[in-house]
Amino acid sequence: MAEEPLDALVICGSLRKGSYNAALARMLPALAPAGMKLRSAPSFANLPIYDYDIQAAGGFPPEANAWADAIRGADALIIVTPEYNWSIPGGLKNAIDWVSRMKDQPFKDKPVALQSAAGGILGGSRAQYHLRQCLTSVDAILFGRPEVIVTFAPQKFDEKTLELKDPTAIDLIKQQLAAFEKFARRVTGKG
Amino acid sequence: MASLNVLTLCGSLRKGSYNAMLQRALPGLAPGGMTLKPAPSFAEFPLYNADIQNSTGFPAAVNTLADAIRAADGVIFCTPEYNFGIPGGLKNAIDWVSRLPNQPFAGKPVALQSVSPGPLGGGRVQYDMRRAMVFLDAFTLNKPEIFVGGCASKFDEKTGEVKDEATRGFIKQQLAAFATFITQVAPKK
Repeated sequence: MAEEPLDALVICGSLRKGSYNAALARMLPALAPAGMKLRSAPSFANLPIYDYDIQAAGGFPPEANAWADAIRGADALIIVTPEYNWSIPGGLKNAIDWVSRMKDQPFKDKPVALQSAAGGILGGSRAQYHLRQCLTSVDAILFGRPEVIVTFAPQKFDEKTLELKDPTAIDLIKQQLAAFEKFARRVTGKG
Repeated sequence: MASLNVLTLCGSLRKGSYNAMLQRALPGLAPGGMTLKPAPSFAEFPLYNADIQNSTGFPAAVNTLADAIRAADGVIFCTPEYNFGIPGGLKNAIDWVSRLPNQPFAGKPVALQSVSPGPLGGGRVQYDMRRAMVFLDAFTLNKPEIFVGGCASKFDEKTGEVKDEATRGFIKQQLAAFATFITQVAPKK
């Protein structure tokens, strides 16, 4: 069956180069099912802090439009994020805040899967539950289980290459991506 | 009452913000001895990135805000709710200062207020803020909570004044309770 590939956009919540979450995001193409094509979202690093007065005076910054267009153009989203202070990183939340104000709001009806990696025992789960709350507000369609919560990240990634080497985590990610592909196809009616 | 120096931090950047109106109204509703002043802006903070911190250190504006928090006896947040959560800009400011040595929120008394046009008045953002404040070891005041819902009818658009009497009453009660709380939780000098 020659299905059209499901085009999934990967958004990373961390900006630093050595991020475990960025490393996790880079692993995904190798772990995705054959029918899923993954690409990275444009950066939100240079977005100003959301201010309605900026929007009213000069419209949306080009970076906000580029980010929104990438989301609109994708069939599905995978957000891979660290947890900062028991919640969503401010930078990622700021990007969501910007695009949420757009006409043709890009998250609407978009299937979203969540992943997080963190050094501790909770693996960034608190950021994931906050994201679920915020993505409900923008009418995204949230994938349920399996959840990908990579705990004790420093033990699971190769120190030098930052490659994920934990077989249990790898297996879980494969399961999530396979299930997410089916879910995304079902809810978007694609294939 | 001992004199208390309280910093107010608004989560919105826009000029016409109802939360900024609330912030500006607080000095007129505060108990005797409590002095309120607005925090320095976080509008120009870059988005948090550990690589910036490690290469060029903390941006000057981050240190300015952190110093203002450290110097205050307490902090009051007046914030809108964006997408059922904390505005990204405010969370980014918290993320930056959280990484500083001598983390400024540690042991700091905090009170929360929110304004929104809807019926919940920003209820969800306050609980997210409470959670982040736990991680930062701040002491967050429990009650009374200030949720200003249906805000369009509660402020004078021209003067920015809180014209709703019940709301003014709640705010006065919270500020008085916050003064007591600050005294209660502050390390004894």
